[in-house]
Amino acid sequence: MKGLRDAIVLLVVLILQATLAHRIAIAGVRPDLLVAFVVYFAWMRGPVSGVVGGFTVGLLQDLDAPGPLGLNALAKTVVGFIVAKAGFRVHRSNVGVRFFFFLVAMLVHDVIYFGAYTGGEFGAFVRQFVFVAIPSALYTTVVVLLLLSTVERFSRTLLLTDEV
Amino acid sequence: MFRLLFARRADWAAFTIACLLSLTLMSLGRGQQERAAWFIQHTVLAPVNALVGWVDAGVGVYWENQKLKKRLAQVQIEADEMRTDRIENARLRRLLNLSQENPSDLTAARVTARSLDRLGGSLTIDKGVKDGVLPNRAVIMPEGLVGRVEQATAHEARVLTLLHRDCAVAVRVGRSRVDGVLQWEFGERPILSLLYVSSQEDVKKGDWVLTSGLGGIFPEGVRVGTVTRVGIAENGLMKEVQVKPAVNFRSLEEVLVYMPAGSGRGPRMPSLEAIAPDSTPRQGAPGAVPPGATAPPRATAPHDSARVEVTP
Repeated sequence: MKGLRDAIVLLVVLILQATLAHRIAIAGVRPDLLVAFVVYFAWMRGPVSGVVGGFTVGLLQDLDAPGPLGLNALAKTVVGFIVAKAGFRVHRSNVGVRFFFFLVAMLVHDVIYFGAYTGGEFGAFVRQFVFVAIPSALYTTVVVLLLLSTVERFSRTLLLTDEV
Repeated sequence: MFRLLFARRADWAAFTIACLLSLTLMSLGRGQQERAAWFIQHTVLAPVNALVGWVDAGVGVYWENQKLKKRLAQVQIEADEMRTDRIENARLRRLLNLSQENPSDLTAARVTARSLDRLGGSLTIDKGVKDGVLPNRAVIMPEGLVGRVEQATAHEARVLTLLHRDCAVAVRVGRSRVDGVLQWEFGERPILSLLYVSSQEDVKKGDWVLTSGLGGIFPEGVRVGTVTRVGIAENGLMKEVQVKPAVNFRSLEEVLVYMPAGSGRGPRMPSLEAIAPDSTPRQGAPGAVPPGATAPPRATAPHDSARVEVTP
């Protein structure tokens, strides 16, 4: 039952990312809901599920990405693992904590992603980080917090936890 | 011992395995990666893609409606200008005794899914082999070149946009006729690099870049973008030219697939400015070109735009 719910939520996030994300882009910056999903999923489910979820979502994203196959999978696996390990004892319903967690996790993801993509070229990496990673992480965090608060208000069945 | 290790450290074991799998995938050759991606997309992800396309069509109605209202106002203004152009076009055709045969056609296709990755790079459209959309067909928009069809199934096709590393285009600078190859290079913005341009060649900021027709995939004379930066490479032999694409890839809802009548090189686009200097729009009028700048070419009309049939 839990697995089915996870799959449905992932499907909803995939559809939102493919259909809505580019429509709500601001100055070319669009939210990356799939990273947010991995962060939330890993945070709620723990390290093993975080790793499996991160790898699966990353691989799905890699199928359509211009970069090498496996790069998103690697970045999201690492993020899923770190978030699950670090967030185990953290109070999950606090808005400030959520904001911090999502923001830092997405920045960590982008450090790995753009670090590998730019092939260690420092100038390109810094430009990517400043012009793409930070605005995208901030925007995604705000969108996700709004989404979570909306879902929590109207329906808890879509949430990946039973304790909030 | 492995079972004991896995039971006690399942999280670390899963993490290690997933990282190793990712690194293995990254180390595969590009051909193997593409085959694996294509296989998964058209087996495991086929139902998901269909669902995404269905939802996208619904969500798109609201945005499309808003956009169409704005476009309608624009189109009414442009309609008068087009009527004038059509008369002028007919007159020039008679003068040139051009063939009245339509050498090619355009097929409109809806974008049903786009790259999940933030950097973009590919689109899926709702036309496939049964609609005549075959691999290596050029995909264009009124603003300019979008990319090319990479692979096609019966009813859908995957389009590589100019922002994909595998979509290189043979181009020509409109003003100075300098040839080069345009290819996306990783950067903070969707900037394309014009490669193989010698440092002696005449390329300036603001020049229009058009397809050259070499290579046989893209028709000649389709607008691709504008030169935004010109520099000299470290070795001093080549120029480093950056080009901003004419198409906004983030807002693509529909595209046109170019269907050449014959195979090989597409038809040459008649350059009205070249044969009738007095036909250039007056200064200040819509479409007017400032003195000294290269006249922007028509993007979607490799042939007579008045005779193009677009399937809705």
